[in-house]
Amino acid sequence: MRTVLRLTRRNLASNRLRFTLTTFAVLLGVSFVVSSFVLTDGLLKTFNNIVEDGNSEIDIEISARSDFAETASFERPIDEALLADVRAVEGVREAEPGAESTRIVPIKHDGQPVDPGLAPVLSFGWTGSDFSALTIEDGVGPSGANEFAMDFSSADRFGLVLGETYDMVGVDGPEPFTLVGTMRFGEENALAGAVLMSFTLDELQRLDDSEGLIGWIDIAVDDDADAAAVIDRLESVLPADIEAVTGAEVIAEDKDEFTVIIDIFGNILLGFGAVAVFVSAFIIYNTFNILLGQRVRQLALLRALGASGAQVRASSLLEALIVGVTASILGLGGGVLLALGLRGVMNSLGFSMPSIDIILSARTVIVALLVGVLITLLAAYSPAKRAATVPPVAAMRVGFRFGSGEGLRRTIIAIVLAALGIAGVGYGLFGGGDGGLVLLLVGLGAVLVFIAVAMFAPLFSSPSASFLGAPLEHIPGRKITGHIARENAARNNKRTASTAAGLMIGMALIAMATVTANSLKATVRASLGSTLIADFLVTAPNGGEMTDRVAGELAALPEFSDVSAVRYGAIRIGGDQKEVTGTDVTLLTSLLDVDVVEGDPAASAGAGTILLTEEVADTLAVTVGDQLVVDFAAAGPQTLTVGAIYRNEFLIGHYVIDLAAWDAYFASTSDNTVAVKAAPGVDLATAAAAFAPLEAAFPQLNFETQDEFSDRWEGALDSLLVIINVFLGLAIIIALLGIANTMALSVLERTREIGLMRAIGMTRRQTKGMIRLEAGVVSLFGAILGVLVGLVFGWVAVVAIPESIIDRLAIPTGTLVAYVVIATIAGLLAASLPARRASRLNVLDAISYE
Amino acid sequence: MTSVGEVAAVVTSDTAAPEVRTMAAEAVGLSKVYGEGNTRVVALDRVDIGFEAQRMTAIMGPSGSGKSTLMHCMAGLDEVTDGEVRIGDTLISDLSDKELTLLRRKRLGFIFQSFNLVPTLTASENIELPLLLGGRQPDSAWEDRVIESLTLTDRLKHRPDELSGGQQQRVAVARALVSRPDIIFADEPTGNLDSRSGDEVLGFLRRAVDEWGQTVVMVTHDARAASYADVVVFLRDGQVVDRIENPTADLVIDRIRALEV
Repeated sequence: MRTVLRLTRRNLASNRLRFTLTTFAVLLGVSFVVSSFVLTDGLLKTFNNIVEDGNSEIDIEISARSDFAETASFERPIDEALLADVRAVEGVREAEPGAESTRIVPIKHDGQPVDPGLAPVLSFGWTGSDFSALTIEDGVGPSGANEFAMDFSSADRFGLVLGETYDMVGVDGPEPFTLVGTMRFGEENALAGAVLMSFTLDELQRLDDSEGLIGWIDIAVDDDADAAAVIDRLESVLPADIEAVTGAEVIAEDKDEFTVIIDIFGNILLGFGAVAVFVSAFIIYNTFNILLGQRVRQLALLRALGASGAQVRASSLLEALIVGVTASILGLGGGVLLALGLRGVMNSLGFSMPSIDIILSARTVIVALLVGVLITLLAAYSPAKRAATVPPVAAMRVGFRFGSGEGLRRTIIAIVLAALGIAGVGYGLFGGGDGGLVLLLVGLGAVLVFIAVAMFAPLFSSPSASFLGAPLEHIPGRKITGHIARENAARNNKRTASTAAGLMIGMALIAMATVTANSLKATVRASLGSTLIADFLVTAPNGGEMTDRVAGELAALPEFSDVSAVRYGAIRIGGDQKEVTGTDVTLLTSLLDVDVVEGDPAASAGAGTILLTEEVADTLAVTVGDQLVVDFAAAGPQTLTVGAIYRNEFLIGHYVIDLAAWDAYFASTSDNTVAVKAAPGVDLATAAAAFAPLEAAFPQLNFETQDEFSDRWEGALDSLLVIINVFLGLAIIIALLGIANTMALSVLERTREIGLMRAIGMTRRQTKGMIRLEAGVVSLFGAILGVLVGLVFGWVAVVAIPESIIDRLAIPTGTLVAYVVIATIAGLLAASLPARRASRLNVLDAISYE
Repeated sequence: MTSVGEVAAVVTSDTAAPEVRTMAAEAVGLSKVYGEGNTRVVALDRVDIGFEAQRMTAIMGPSGSGKSTLMHCMAGLDEVTDGEVRIGDTLISDLSDKELTLLRRKRLGFIFQSFNLVPTLTASENIELPLLLGGRQPDSAWEDRVIESLTLTDRLKHRPDELSGGQQQRVAVARALVSRPDIIFADEPTGNLDSRSGDEVLGFLRRAVDEWGQTVVMVTHDARAASYADVVVFLRDGQVVDRIENPTADLVIDRIRALEV
């Protein structure tokens, strides 16, 4: 064993560059896994602290009882009059009303609304009680009309100054409000990008048009009172649809809500980490394989001198183990740094994250070590096994090569893996499993497909490289180096294939994301064009709400003929929560081509009717005239009659009720969208100009034509795609390291050849060019292979996603070509270091290199 | 033992020969020292030597005598520690790596003992490689003549691993000749060949000198190979110790024995 150890150490020491690059590849993968754990743990701890801080003084909270998921929980505010009843209950020491609104937007001095992007603007009623997680940072709390406070980091971010007056837009037009204080939320003011404001309860209700209504009541009980007994007494005075729960339950519920969100975030990071680790595995496998080829004579000599095959294998595996352990330990540190970096990036993007504690839990350390070490050993296993098969006689024979007799076996394994992978993806997508299982099956299936493609790739990598490299021979002044680069890229089919495979994975994922997003854009644009008859859409920022006054005032203008509000909410049918749309059904078919199958939407006005898609009607086995029990959060179960059945759910979903029904069964009467059609004979420019007074009154709203609406929406989707692709870019970076690694090893292997060419007149520049061009050809091959695989994946995704979301495959050819070009150039540049090394070889030493 | 001065005198006395010969390459006070302190090795010790144009010169000497180092320094493959080296009129000891590379490409030809060819290129691509690296078009009439005389015509499309050792060396000879260099350096060109193939290669080099006026400098330890040369120079301990004209194999063997004593 000692000999094996020493041999391993020597090998590592003598190839420091290779060791460094391999380690770095594993390190990057491990770092991402670690950072996802570190961020998740840290965020959970911080948010839990906030929840506990915010609720620590609360013994009991009263709120509306609701079986609806949390999106609909503010649907049913509490009558403020209840407060007096609650305060009168024995044992209640203090009871404070709580209220929240998302409908209030401050306007900056430049006339632009405060827009925190994807995060909301949240307003609260200021009570100044200990219950609130909000404390005053500077100035005072709002105590009268036309006063407000804002969290200090948002005030800073949007340039609002204490003591100055700003226009505030609630359900009515702008009104001047003075910023009297800045607040801090919890200890860290960790708002994840949201803007917090507070007003006196009266002002909040006035701005929100919810006079007399509150969201919840926080209660502290007398020191000697028993909370459970107080709850019993409270329940006796509260209406049946209002419940009282202990502070501990509130904390637990809130924590659960945060945990769900943070887990999603953590899982996304973990997913990127898994991709990184997977690509690293390819690089390790490739490196160990090339190494093996180069060390044949050394290994054979060892065998000739009496080392057993097992010892040779042990030596190789030990080398992998050392790489794995080193990379994992460094990866722990790298992960912490990455977590800090990600937090910094998010902060700079405006998602202010708390200064989270760096929690390196035992689980994180164990997982990091396991992932790093296992993946390295796994990748190195097959090369190590083959190392043990080197016959001793190879020590004497020049040009021993590992047999390719396994070709057939390899092909069979690849076919089996591909079949399993496709089956996994297919079953995952179409088998009807739940979310977690779908992701697992699709993920594992994709991994198998990638491995299968990588195993097939040697069958065509040489001719492909030769084909792709052909243009190199026509570069003026580079003809011969281009020719040699092309030949070299086609020289070793397996090496080219597995080097390109690393790049393929990252490119495939990027191509898939791009194709899917592009198909989504194409679907939406086409659907808008064919479905939306309305000329304009008025929307609130971030899918928020606006007062119904907007629709009312638009309807009064002569420039517009049909104006209908659109509201989104939740209902339950047979216990399942569904999304419902409220709109003026009498105008439905004149604003939207819903493709009516049966019945007449225009005749379905009133509170007693519901409209369904054909799909839903078939599932529920109902037809026009049938009755359906629909459960509303505010109004409880109602029996509605099916008024019409339509086919096209685009923009309005599967369930539609009339605004009259909405007003009857929902607590809120805010609109999400207002669809507007210009009056006959009024051209669009004239109609658009008619928006001016409303635009002035509600500067936060978007008044857009169909095209403007699509453009803005596509812009948001593009931003999301950029973020996804930046993360996937990590996999590309790892693959580029792999290309650098392979080229460095190839340069080492071809030392004599390079020396010879230098001797007979190849300049350093030509040498560098030759190596770079070769890397470029391999990268181009990997990038094209990746895009092809990505196209297939994208196509599968488009087929799997319901037609109501994506109904067509739209391939962004230009973008994909640009990605391939960028990846090729990056591969070219990644080979700079080995190219430099090759050009600096001492000619004489190189010629006599063994 | 002959002193350096005497060798120089012998070289100089050559000018008295019937035809006046110019020097294709020349070294004055050429020293090459490896390492420092305890590990200091003097490979070449103030060597003065010239290689006459249009003649074939063999460099001989025991292992470690400095014969390969001398060739490498003269060919611009190795840096000299001291002294001047000229190829024709060009003082190469001061040239940059790039200038040296271009000089090797345009004005020198090389034949090594083994691994002479780029494995991914065909025989004809290998032959044209120095020209192609310079972006030059081969002179096809000349190239055809070289290839024909080396009987490589039907081997041009083959890769090196499809050629015998003798054929590979002939391709190397063709590559060295095709750019019509000022001087061809051959480092043990027959070291890895059987005697028949070796004779062929040496015969071609001889013809290149006799018929095409080429200049060849060859390092060898094989007396029979040396007998193909016009002049044989003997090195020992980094110094030129002897020189014979129009050698025969026996004469060379005698001199080597004398040196090794």
